[in-house]
Amino acid sequence: MAETTAAVVDELAVRRAKSGDLEALEGLYRAYEGTVYALARRICRTPEDAEEVLQETFLEVCRSIRKFRGSGGGSLTAWVKRVAASKALIRIRYEKYRETEELEEERGWSGRHDGDVGLRMDLETALARLPETTRAVVWLHDVEGYTHEEIAELMDKTVSFSKSQLSRAHARLRTWLGEEG
Amino acid sequence: MLRHCTIAELLELRDGEGTAAARLHMEGCAACRAELERLYQRTATLKALPALQAPRDRWPVVREAVLGERRRKRVARYAWTGLAAAAALVGVVGIRSIQHSGADDQAAQEVATLVEESQQLEAMLHQIPREGRVVNGATAAAIAALEDRIALVDQGITRAQAVSMPEDAMADLWRERVVLMDQLVDTHVRQVAYVGY
Repeated sequence: MAETTAAVVDELAVRRAKSGDLEALEGLYRAYEGTVYALARRICRTPEDAEEVLQETFLEVCRSIRKFRGSGGGSLTAWVKRVAASKALIRIRYEKYRETEELEEERGWSGRHDGDVGLRMDLETALARLPETTRAVVWLHDVEGYTHEEIAELMDKTVSFSKSQLSRAHARLRTWLGEEG
Repeated sequence: MLRHCTIAELLELRDGEGTAAARLHMEGCAACRAELERLYQRTATLKALPALQAPRDRWPVVREAVLGERRRKRVARYAWTGLAAAAALVGVVGIRSIQHSGADDQAAQEVATLVEESQQLEAMLHQIPREGRVVNGATAAAIAALEDRIALVDQGITRAQAVSMPEDAMADLWRERVVLMDQLVDTHVRQVAYVGY
């Protein structure tokens, strides 16, 4: 499962974390470490980048937990994930490896990419092969359940940008996985 | 719709947002229905990809950074208190040195010198780069202990000023502050040199 933890953080622990209690803050880290790293690793290019995102996310959580107004584990999970997604997207935006690979224009699923004929790989490999921004859109929308509006806001782009990235990504995945009919 | 659905249209159908024309087309097109099914399966497989675990525990680094930020805030607070006390005291020393003579004058002069030394050390401390620096546990504990002791001395100076304590007692407090500030600066400088190396 991509969802790595069913974090159980009770209200008392959140209150203690808000007061700056280091043990409670470590409790939050332990509860969400897997979720945050998994999200970051799927978006970032390298494990090192994902570790940096993990660290930056929890520094932000420790700084800003006092401002968190939600209640219940669900909204805390959503808040922590949103912080992580934002940090990961900032990281890929400014990261030195710029995306040079431009995905081809969207075409119908029956279209054929001649250069990819005979190329087959598993989904994880294919996902990793996508450009970072495209992969981020796929992961945030299809796995984490973010809407195109939310992704557009996080990425400071338009809704149509998010939609087109998702379409192009699936066109590529389909070809790479050898699913063409 | 006479053509097959595009991937964008299939994604909209998967997300429950497809157009009426696309939905109508799906009813009569086995190929597009099969393609939509593959899309569902691909999404399910994505969600079922194995969990990835962080190779290293990053909590110690986060914890140290949080403690570092707290220390910096505390230092900023006591530095302001110390400087304010020093500024007030320089005024007091000036007035008293006019009023007193002999031993009192000597103590007052010593206080003035110590206040100046303390201010110079404060200035040095502010010039040491500390933003984002990670220190080991022992150094962090030593810095925190020194900061706490300086804060206590500052409280003592403030109280002493309020009750017009004799100059020699005041000089003792300022001497202690200078010694502690000197140790604090030294600890930070050694840490910077170590990190730089």
